[in-house]
Amino acid sequence: MVLQPAERHCGDWSHRRLGPWCSPTGSPAPLSCETGCGEGTWILVCRLLVPTQVSLLSMEEDIDTRKINNSFLRDHSYATEEHFRLASFSLPSSLLHWSKPPPSRTWTVVMTYQQDYLSPCLYPLSALSDIISTVEFNHTGELLATGDKGGRVVIFQREQESKNQVHRRGEYNVYSTFQSHEPEFDYLKSLEIEEKINKIRWLPQQNAAYFLLSTNDKTVKLWKVSERDKRPEGYNLKDEEGRLRDPATITTLRVPVLRPMDLMVEATPRRVFANAHTYHINSISVNSDYETYMSADDLRINLWNFEITNQSFNIVDIKPANMEELTEVITAAEFHPHHCNTFVYSSSKGTIRLCDMRASALCDRHTKFFEEPEDPSNRSFFSEIISSISDVKFSHSGRYIMTRDYLTVKVWDLNMENRPIETYQVHDYLRSKLCSLYENDCIFDKFECVWNGSDSVIMTGSYNNFFRMFDRNTKRDVTLEASRENSKPRAILKPRKVCVGGKRRKDEISVDSLDFSKKILHTAWHPSENIIAVAATNNLYIFQDKVN
Amino acid sequence: MLGKGGKRKFDEHEDGLEGKIVSPSDGPSKVSYTLQRQTIFNISLMKLYNHRPLTEPSLQKTVLINNMLRRIQEELKQEGSLRPAFPASAPPAAAAADPLGSSSREAPPAFSQPAPAPCELGGAAALEACLTPASLLEDDDPDTFCTSSPAAPARLAPPALLPPEKDSFSSALDEIEELCPTSTSTEAAEADGPKGDSSSGGPGAPQRPEGLQEGGRPEDPKLMDSLPGNFEITASTGFLTDLTLDDILFADIDTSMYDFDPCTSASGTASKMSPVSADDLLKTLAPYSSQPVAPSQPFKMDLTELDHIMEVLVGS
Repeated sequence: MVLQPAERHCGDWSHRRLGPWCSPTGSPAPLSCETGCGEGTWILVCRLLVPTQVSLLSMEEDIDTRKINNSFLRDHSYATEEHFRLASFSLPSSLLHWSKPPPSRTWTVVMTYQQDYLSPCLYPLSALSDIISTVEFNHTGELLATGDKGGRVVIFQREQESKNQVHRRGEYNVYSTFQSHEPEFDYLKSLEIEEKINKIRWLPQQNAAYFLLSTNDKTVKLWKVSERDKRPEGYNLKDEEGRLRDPATITTLRVPVLRPMDLMVEATPRRVFANAHTYHINSISVNSDYETYMSADDLRINLWNFEITNQSFNIVDIKPANMEELTEVITAAEFHPHHCNTFVYSSSKGTIRLCDMRASALCDRHTKFFEEPEDPSNRSFFSEIISSISDVKFSHSGRYIMTRDYLTVKVWDLNMENRPIETYQVHDYLRSKLCSLYENDCIFDKFECVWNGSDSVIMTGSYNNFFRMFDRNTKRDVTLEASRENSKPRAILKPRKVCVGGKRRKDEISVDSLDFSKKILHTAWHPSENIIAVAATNNLYIFQDKVN
Repeated sequence: MLGKGGKRKFDEHEDGLEGKIVSPSDGPSKVSYTLQRQTIFNISLMKLYNHRPLTEPSLQKTVLINNMLRRIQEELKQEGSLRPAFPASAPPAAAAADPLGSSSREAPPAFSQPAPAPCELGGAAALEACLTPASLLEDDDPDTFCTSSPAAPARLAPPALLPPEKDSFSSALDEIEELCPTSTSTEAAEADGPKGDSSSGGPGAPQRPEGLQEGGRPEDPKLMDSLPGNFEITASTGFLTDLTLDDILFADIDTSMYDFDPCTSASGTASKMSPVSADDLLKTLAPYSSQPVAPSQPFKMDLTELDHIMEVLVGS
């Protein structure tokens, strides 16, 4: 398999040329991208549980005792869209119109992939294995991949628009699921290697199949997800059941024909990139040339070619000669969206380095160094820890980078290194609680941040299942909650507020009653539309900006 | 009353201790600053050494905790060198003279002294607190560890400051958090609380370091293997070796404190020290001030120093 930048001729994307020598043409689909977050309202599209058998038996979540309806799985025989929807939700067609109120029962989808969920002994999964650890839309937004702590990847596909239900977009259904990584044991160190999926990154689509990279702490894998809806029939040497025929009984020859079959989605591992990282991989990033990608661990960054699995180039190495002198680690890294020679990486000391691979083979000397001087009035014991950057993301335009540290999100202009151009307080009310948060380890939580398709709104998560959106143009922000209790389908999300001190108004939550075990670390934003996916522990919420 | 100053945000629910840290120049808040620093130091040590992961511990977390410990150590070192008048050296010296248990009683009375410099005493207690973990953990040889552990850790108050379970620790944390809105004297009295509670397990004190040691020993090889270059252990020995007993106790002794009756007489066994003149002590202790002390030698040095002091006592 050789990946070549190529023109795509299918679907809406034929007008896009992919390649490092040009920037993507075409603006994101208009819709409500430009309305920003303050003016639109967000509704819950669907809530999906990451499918495991154990989620039914988990003692942590409320057990959903409704009967499982397996029929909506793509593996089964529901080939047509109509049949698909009606079989899974059993809704009368009149309710499928946008303006009708939703049925009284919540259509939260609980899925399981083990057919026989009544015999738990066959699947000894840990109760925590369904905590979602990464969420990522693909480049078109048609697919949404989630990875969980149990090493599984679940891919959701957006429902196709049809003429009848043109408003019923934004719903995602399970497309494929597979076990990406297994737990391993490092015999040398007598330590387990977690199978938790740290990151998933999609490759741009080159042909009918989809490709994604998934990684755990040590190994990166390239997966191919493809559909099969035809199979050959009429073999000469085999009969219909596959048994070999006695050649003596064959009297005529025929040409096998392809006949339609039930749609099957299969995932196959195409490449395994292993044994290149001594420390834990925290980031992977696909280069804009679509031939290489990088994987970053705590101290090193490696550059890979997709075709070559037994070699990688080390492009950054910050391991000191004497490990006692180690004071800084790499926390995140990403390639520039258009310039295939440029990448950034962030550190635990709150700095970002931009490197140019053309300068030298080992990019230990940065081209640009982004650091904000410390605010002396905010100094505390925890200044260094809360300045540690947990995520760094380039804007789609490639002109800005966004960084997330414990209490803030910052937007930096690549042309200005001495301070960010914008700083947004995510949950500044936690500043007085840092000692307790240090004690219970919450201060080490790694929140991610995302841009919307037009780079006008940024989003990040917080505690108590809250997530925040900041509109960079209007400077307005909103806090929303992803919770089961107050989320009926099509329900409008109500903005939440945390009160810091003094009188607590109705509907406000006081800082002391925040639940720090419910944290939203992983979110994703559709590349062109206002659809977001929010992972709250083992629940995945999909919200859409309501278009009036 | 803490928490009402201009530098802090007024919030009756806010933990003044956890709020913005004021510079240690204010009198009463100095104690809270030192308390918090001590608390954070202990939390950090617990995080590093009590954690038993099945998988490799996160390097980022370890690095951040180590940096925190280093910073606190630097601060303590600076404070130690900035204060030539070191009144707290009397309790440690007294503690050094006494075998078991009494040293743990030294700290609370020393701590409860009103003004002269409560922060300094807290600093001394903090320094002592530094020392025990360092001496516990620096010594990689289990044999030396075993033989020296009953003597040394009991001599130094700090195991009392490292509570065995997190529960008592959180309660200590809560007590400390409650401290700030109250007056200094109440603070100091309450500060006695956690220390008093832990020190009342005086006989338990020798057991706890051993417990820590046992917990640490099977752990140590694991930690040492899991992090390249013995990052955790040697890093801690690296930064805590500088802070030897020598530097703190004998560097600049303020002889006036030896005449300070409330300080010395507050502890029962310290009365033994009263007949000793300050000059005699200086003479006995001076030879040691220039000695560079290796990590494993503090215990041996204590014994020889004890001999000398006993000679002085018997001699007079």
